[in-house]
Amino acid sequence: MKWIPWILILPVVLIRGFTTLYPIFATFKNSLFDIKVLSGVHEFVGLSNYVNVFKDQKIITSISFTLLFVVVSMVFHIVLGVCLALILNMKFKGRRFLRTIVLIPWAMPAVVVGMAAKWGFNNDYGLINDLIRRFVSDFQFNWLINTGSARAAVIIMDLWKDLPFFAILVLSGLQFISGDIYEAAKVDGANGVQSFFRITLPLITKNVITLCIPFTLWRLTTFDLVYAMTSGGPGEDTSLIAYRITMEAFTNLNVGYASTLAVMLFAVMALFSWFNIRVMNKIES
Amino acid sequence: MNDSKKYRVYRGCVTAGRWILFAVVAFLILFPVYWIFISSITPPGELFKMPIDYLPDNPTLDSYKFLIENVGLFAKIGNTILIVGITLLISTVICSMAAYAFSRFQSKGISIAFAFIIATMLIPEVVTARPLYEFMQKVGLYDTYPGLIILYISAVIPFTVLILRNFAGEIPISLEEAASIDGATFTQRLFQVVLPLMKPAIATVCIINFITCLNNFFTPLYYSNGIQVLSVAIVQLPLRDNMYGVPWDLVSAMGWIILLPIIIFVAVFEKQIMDGIMAGGVKA
Repeated sequence: MKWIPWILILPVVLIRGFTTLYPIFATFKNSLFDIKVLSGVHEFVGLSNYVNVFKDQKIITSISFTLLFVVVSMVFHIVLGVCLALILNMKFKGRRFLRTIVLIPWAMPAVVVGMAAKWGFNNDYGLINDLIRRFVSDFQFNWLINTGSARAAVIIMDLWKDLPFFAILVLSGLQFISGDIYEAAKVDGANGVQSFFRITLPLITKNVITLCIPFTLWRLTTFDLVYAMTSGGPGEDTSLIAYRITMEAFTNLNVGYASTLAVMLFAVMALFSWFNIRVMNKIES
Repeated sequence: MNDSKKYRVYRGCVTAGRWILFAVVAFLILFPVYWIFISSITPPGELFKMPIDYLPDNPTLDSYKFLIENVGLFAKIGNTILIVGITLLISTVICSMAAYAFSRFQSKGISIAFAFIIATMLIPEVVTARPLYEFMQKVGLYDTYPGLIILYISAVIPFTVLILRNFAGEIPISLEEAASIDGATFTQRLFQVVLPLMKPAIATVCIINFITCLNNFFTPLYYSNGIQVLSVAIVQLPLRDNMYGVPWDLVSAMGWIILLPIIIFVAVFEKQIMDGIMAGGVKA
């Protein structure tokens, strides 16, 4: 009877092991080699791939945009996400409709969002400039051609897709707060703003911090959106690190270097998670 | 009297404010989706016209016809249904089995196995992609249905196991004990007592995994070539030689074909999706 549980879990462990264990060791190993598939190079170079990362302007651009993307996107997620959650939590007819449609961006494939955004931000035929022109005639602006605006456009689309989902998860935290607390505050003479800052915000803070962990990790690994929307351009200005790694691995076929970047991304994610678990434990106790 | 009038005006403003917020959120979410739809039924000539015609004068289904006749739409839909269907079937069976074992049997080995499954959630696909790609080619699974299905199943395992284990943990063991006193064997207990009770959780997980699988882009893009699914087809539409290189009419039609089942699904299963999201914090 002792082997019964092992038989039950064997399939999932085998499949998950097959798709993660071997490949991750191989990535670690490859990161110490110079492997260029096109020119047939395959030689041991030790840690020099890791050293090269810090001399590579392309990668520095990628890393800096990834950091900007994560930080700006998460700040907006938190601020606007809490606002949207409060709107969704209001009592009015049509609330259910609103809660249903906020799921649509979450359920849409990022690649479709990216393709639509690529066109939507087009100067001549795009949805965005068309709407702006209805208020400001003769408005001309090439969003995806300038560094700043292309980066802004990528962040806007990321928010469009994921912020409603963040808000739903904040909403689930809001719903645990019992109405009695607000009633009591009202009796004590607190107005809406006071009860938001004194009651709502402190009670959902832990919930919001917990949510920030997976949302930050997902931002660090965003690939589809820039693949479809900007192809990392203009230049390398919007090539998020996950996109850069994939391009090195599958388009430039510079496998050793791609593995190095992958290992570094993985290390950052692991460190971030470890740090977060520490912080969460501190908050709990 | 004056006070109650003031209060009524105040209430009115609050209600109006709520409705304005409601309308803004609904507009921001729905308008782009609507725009993709009307673009897909606008004739290509009128597509590159400014200002945009939000109620097209000459709606046409030409883009859809083109996708069916020249881009092999039905083959891609068939591939998608086949891969997603088999993935859901197999992943549900093996994940339910594992979830049951993880919730009922305690030993050091088993908790390590569970921690392993959950920890692998942390490994991004870009880290494992290249070696896995070479491995798949070596063993002849590259660009095959079994290969893709294995990768799709693998992608949904951690979330599915986590949710089903939490759910199975809440089913009282006394029910099983009662059944075994009545002489039920292990398999009878599993299939006649536990699994029927897990049906709601299984349904929720399947609904969310269905959306996750439809949205999977990385796997079919890099682990297949001949076998095309819908999510990849949208970036592989034939380019045009004219000034409007990217065929926006076809892209929006393909986009709408991908979105339609997803939107219907979200509308129908809103409650189950919400429950699943709340229980596990998913990401498609």
